[in-house]
Amino acid sequence: MSSSPTPDNSLNETSTTAKPPTHLILQMALRDVSVLFRTPWIIITRALSFIVQVFVFANLISGLIHIQGINYFEYYAVGSVVTTIASISFVIGYDIFEEAEEGVLDYLLTLPISRRQLIIGRALGGAMRAIVYTIPMFVIVAVFWGFSQPLPILTALLSLFLLAFGVTGMSITVAVSVKNANRFDVVLALLELAVSRASTALYPIGFIPVYVAVFAPFSPVSFAADSAYSSLVMLTLDLPAIAGLVAFVVIFLGLGATFYFRRLEGGVYA
Amino acid sequence: MITFERTGKRFGNLDAVKDFSITIKDGEILGLLGPNGAGKTTLMLMMGTVYRPTSGTITVNGFDVVKHPNEVRRLIGIAFQDPRVDGILSGFEVLNWHLKMTTTSDKDERRRKVEDVLKTLDLWDARKKRTWLMSGGMKKKIEDAKILVQRPSIAVFDEPTAFLDVPSRLLVWKMIRQLRDEGSTVIVATNMMDEAERLSERVAIVNKGKLVASETPEQLKGTVKGGEVLELTLNDGSEFRPDMLTKFPEVHDVKKQNNKIMVFLNSGTLLLPKIVDTLSIQGFKIESVRLKEVSLEDVFLTYTGQQLE
Repeated sequence: MSSSPTPDNSLNETSTTAKPPTHLILQMALRDVSVLFRTPWIIITRALSFIVQVFVFANLISGLIHIQGINYFEYYAVGSVVTTIASISFVIGYDIFEEAEEGVLDYLLTLPISRRQLIIGRALGGAMRAIVYTIPMFVIVAVFWGFSQPLPILTALLSLFLLAFGVTGMSITVAVSVKNANRFDVVLALLELAVSRASTALYPIGFIPVYVAVFAPFSPVSFAADSAYSSLVMLTLDLPAIAGLVAFVVIFLGLGATFYFRRLEGGVYA
Repeated sequence: MITFERTGKRFGNLDAVKDFSITIKDGEILGLLGPNGAGKTTLMLMMGTVYRPTSGTITVNGFDVVKHPNEVRRLIGIAFQDPRVDGILSGFEVLNWHLKMTTTSDKDERRRKVEDVLKTLDLWDARKKRTWLMSGGMKKKIEDAKILVQRPSIAVFDEPTAFLDVPSRLLVWKMIRQLRDEGSTVIVATNMMDEAERLSERVAIVNKGKLVASETPEQLKGTVKGGEVLELTLNDGSEFRPDMLTKFPEVHDVKKQNNKIMVFLNSGTLLLPKIVDTLSIQGFKIESVRLKEVSLEDVFLTYTGQQLE
């Protein structure tokens, strides 16, 4: 049987024209973002919760402790934005797991988009959604502490985006490599806890217990928090942190893609 | 043209599809008829590049589904048995996004196409309703509508009228025929005899992952010897043996399912009194008798030993 591609003139016009990959990736990403806009109350309630956490809890704690050279109230506020974006980025994994269970993933796999474009679109969608979700919190922090210089703000947003992109890759990896629903929930929750809490986002490294401090500097959330704090507060560029974030993105997008391909095209998924 | 050549799919120790070979011509409506678990959905998902065959090949318009999956996906549209839609989206949004992904239609064209299909399916008034709030029938129509609005070269429908009322079933069949009339090749997987018989130009009977027969409905009926079927219902068929009736030369085959006896024969009107006498003498009480021409259901029973529906 010949397997070489041959042109066919009888095809319907609408389905013969290949769409540009960027269009398909963008549409796939916007699908995830659009879901968020259909539940605006989630953004509103989470933003309110963030305000209470920062302006009540962090304000109170910063009155109790004094750290030389650091305004802890400000440190906690920036860190809170970073941990929130990490937390939201994990949601894409739950979405994909649910889609696989409900069969929506089968539908997506029949669409005229390559597997590589599909995973990039999903990771991009998850990251964009996390950014959109966190923007109100970022604006609150920027306005309250007077972060107004465009370049540091852009650098901080870039760090947040890289973190979100990498975490969505990590989340997708877990979603497609763990089949049992209960095990998936536990693994993702533990991973989220480890990545967000065992980091320097909310607590300066010198105050973290040693058994956590050993790992905390290598957390992607630490990279993003350090980079965002350096840009916004100290007006410096933390290149090692940004390099760490890029490595994190490359590793987990690659891993996510590998597992995705293996599960969906290797016949294991059934 | 779609060609399955000795295609197989194995999940662990289970052969969902085994040694399946068939060629589907351009512009035909092929009915895949088989019970639940026969392998119909697996066949379609392999053709749609979701699963990889574990043996054999599938080519779609010359493109191998494993080597050229992206090209194949541009040709095919699949409407699933269970609606695969984002519950949070409305019917309009589901179809609009599907068109964005599968066609080059601009915004106005997409709106017109979606409006047309939703109005035809009597879903226009519910276009803004989120699909998770829709009834099973409405959701099923949205699932079918994805392919009816996309109008792909190869349209695949898995149980397209499950959950639908009779008028909706007739409407969907009509729309599927229109799709074929415009040049699409259509594959309909079903376990409903009337759907396979009314809609398909050719029926492929699938059982336990294997192709059992593939002909036009009329040709399939012609393969059943005798041309008539006598359906007898006994009050207790446990003692019944087929040889009690196969002794008559006009009887070609006898199938028994619990208390129901299917006798494949010719000259049924003449033979009926003799059969009734024979069974009565043997002590069987006959609850009902029906003589009819061979249907696709009888064909399926003959080939698989099972009944559908």
